[in-house]
Amino acid sequence: MKNDKQHIIGVFDGEETLVNAFRELKKEKIEISDVFTPFPIHEVLEGHGRKSNIITLSWFFGLFAALAVLSFLYYTAVVDWPLNYGGKPSSAFPSFIVITIVLTIFSVTILSLFTFSVRAKLWPNIEKPIYHDGATDDKFVILFDKDKVDEGKLKKLLKDLGATEIIEK
Amino acid sequence: MEERLKLSSLFFIGTFVLIAIGLVAFITGFIGDPERAWANFLLNNVYFVSLSAGAVLFLSLQRVTQSGWSAGFIRVPEAMGMYLPVAAVLFIVMIFGIQSIYHWSHADAVAHDPILQHKQPYLNVPFWVGRMVVFFVLWIVLAQMLRHYSLREDEEGGLSIFRKAEHIAKVFIFVIIITFSVAGFDWIMSIDPHWYSALFALKNFVSAFYHAVAIITFIVLLLNQFGYFPFLTKSHMHDFSSYIFMLCIIWGYFWFAEFMLIWYANIPEETSYFISRMQADGWRIFFFANIVINWFIPFVIMMPAASRRSEITLKIVIPILLVGMFIDLYVQIFPGVVGKQMLGFNEIGGFLGFAGIFMLVVGYYLSRANLYPKNHPYMEECLEHHV
Repeated sequence: MKNDKQHIIGVFDGEETLVNAFRELKKEKIEISDVFTPFPIHEVLEGHGRKSNIITLSWFFGLFAALAVLSFLYYTAVVDWPLNYGGKPSSAFPSFIVITIVLTIFSVTILSLFTFSVRAKLWPNIEKPIYHDGATDDKFVILFDKDKVDEGKLKKLLKDLGATEIIEK
Repeated sequence: MEERLKLSSLFFIGTFVLIAIGLVAFITGFIGDPERAWANFLLNNVYFVSLSAGAVLFLSLQRVTQSGWSAGFIRVPEAMGMYLPVAAVLFIVMIFGIQSIYHWSHADAVAHDPILQHKQPYLNVPFWVGRMVVFFVLWIVLAQMLRHYSLREDEEGGLSIFRKAEHIAKVFIFVIIITFSVAGFDWIMSIDPHWYSALFALKNFVSAFYHAVAIITFIVLLLNQFGYFPFLTKSHMHDFSSYIFMLCIIWGYFWFAEFMLIWYANIPEETSYFISRMQADGWRIFFFANIVINWFIPFVIMMPAASRRSEITLKIVIPILLVGMFIDLYVQIFPGVVGKQMLGFNEIGGFLGFAGIFMLVVGYYLSRANLYPKNHPYMEECLEHHV
C-alpha cells in the first residue's frame, strides 16, 4: 500500500452539509475521486457521473446461461442418449424450463459477482485503504486526488462549506 | 393540498353509452344463447370484482407496510373498492344463471355421477349462495371501513386513525386470501366439477392483484394527464411498475407451475382440462396468447429500469394486460360452459357494459372526496419520494 499522502479528505458531520458541499464542488468543477457515506445518498449516487454497465452485462450472462443450459439438456436428453420415461417425448421442453431457470439464476449471480470483484479490484489478500474510520459510522467523507486539484483553493473551499476535518492521507 | 376530481359531462355520456352497449349485448345474448350470455356475465363479474378486491388488497398492503411512496394515491384503490357493493348486486343476479353455468347444479346429472355426489355437501346451490353472501359482506364491510377511516383522517388528522386503518388492513389481508381462494374454486373451478387444482386459487388471486395494480397505475397516469396528481414523478412510476413487474413474474410462475405439474404427471382426470384448451381448435390460440400477453410481453418490455420509469411504456403495457386478463378468464370459463370458441359482439359488448359501470362507480367515488389524503402521516414522504 502506498502511503505517501496522495489524497485530500474532507470530513462532514451531516447529510445536508455533505450534499451541499458536493453540489458546490461540482459547480466549481473540482474533481471528486470518491465519496464515502454511512448510507446511500441519491444525490451523490446520481451526481457522481459514473455509470456501471454491470446490469447489461448480467443480462448477457443470463442469456448465455439460459441458451447453454437448454442446449446441454437438449443434447443429453434428445441427441446423445434418449431414454423412454413413461412414454413421454424425449424433447420435453416444459420439463427443461425449471432447471434452466435455476441454473440461469445461479450462473448470473456467480458471473456477476466475479465480474464485480475483478472490476472493483477485490480479491483475497488485498488490502484496501480505509480513508476515515467514521465513514461507516457517522461521518460523511469526500476524497480528492492530490494531483488533480488545486490544494490551497480546495482546502479553503472545504472549510467554507463546513467540513469538520480536512486530512491528508 | 385540497383538490377534487371534476368529472366532465363527456365522461358520463361515455359511460352511459358503454352501459347501453352492454345492455344490448346482454339482452340479445339472453334471447339468443342464454348459456353463452351467462358465461359472459360470470366472466365480467369475476373480472371486475377481481380488480376491486385486488385494489383493496393493494391499499391494505400499503397500510400494513406503512408505505410512504404510495400515500398520495390511496384514494384511487379506495374508490375502486367501492365497486364491491355494485358487484354484489350483479353477483346476486347470477343466481338465476346457476343452472346455465354450473353442471353440478343439475339434479339429474348429480344422480348419475358418483364424483358429483361425493362433492355435493360442498357444491350445492344454497351453500354456494351462502358462501358468496359471506364473502361479499366481509369484503364490503372491510373496504368501507378502510375508506371511512381514510376520509375521517382528512378531517381530524392525527395518528390514531392511521393505526386503526392499519389494523383493518391486516384483517382484510387475512380475509381476502382465504375468501378469494374459495371464491375462485366456487365461481370458476366448479365449472369443470371433475377437475381440480390446488394452485388454481393462488393463480387467480395473483391475477386479481396483478391486474388491479395495473389499473390503479393506469387511473393515476390518466388523472395525471388531466392535471391531477401534480406530484407524480418518475420515482412513483418506477415503484408502480416494479409492483407490476414483480406480479408479472409471480403470475407467470404460478401459471407455469400449475401447467407443468399437470403436464408432467399426465393423469387423465387432470390433463383433460388442458387438453380441451391447449389442443382444441379455436382455444389453442387463446391458451398460448394468455401466457404471452400476461407474462412474456410485460416481462420483456419492463425489464430495463429505464422503461419502468417511462410513462409511455406503462401506457402501452397496461392496456395489453387488461386484454390479457379477459383472455385469462375467457380460457378458464368458456370452454367449460359453452364449449365452442366464439368470440363476438356478445362478449366484447358485455365487457364494455361492465367497464362502463366500473368507470362510473370509480369516477363517482373519486369525485366525492378530496383526491389526496392531506392528513395522511406519510403524505410528505410521498411528495418527496425519490428512488
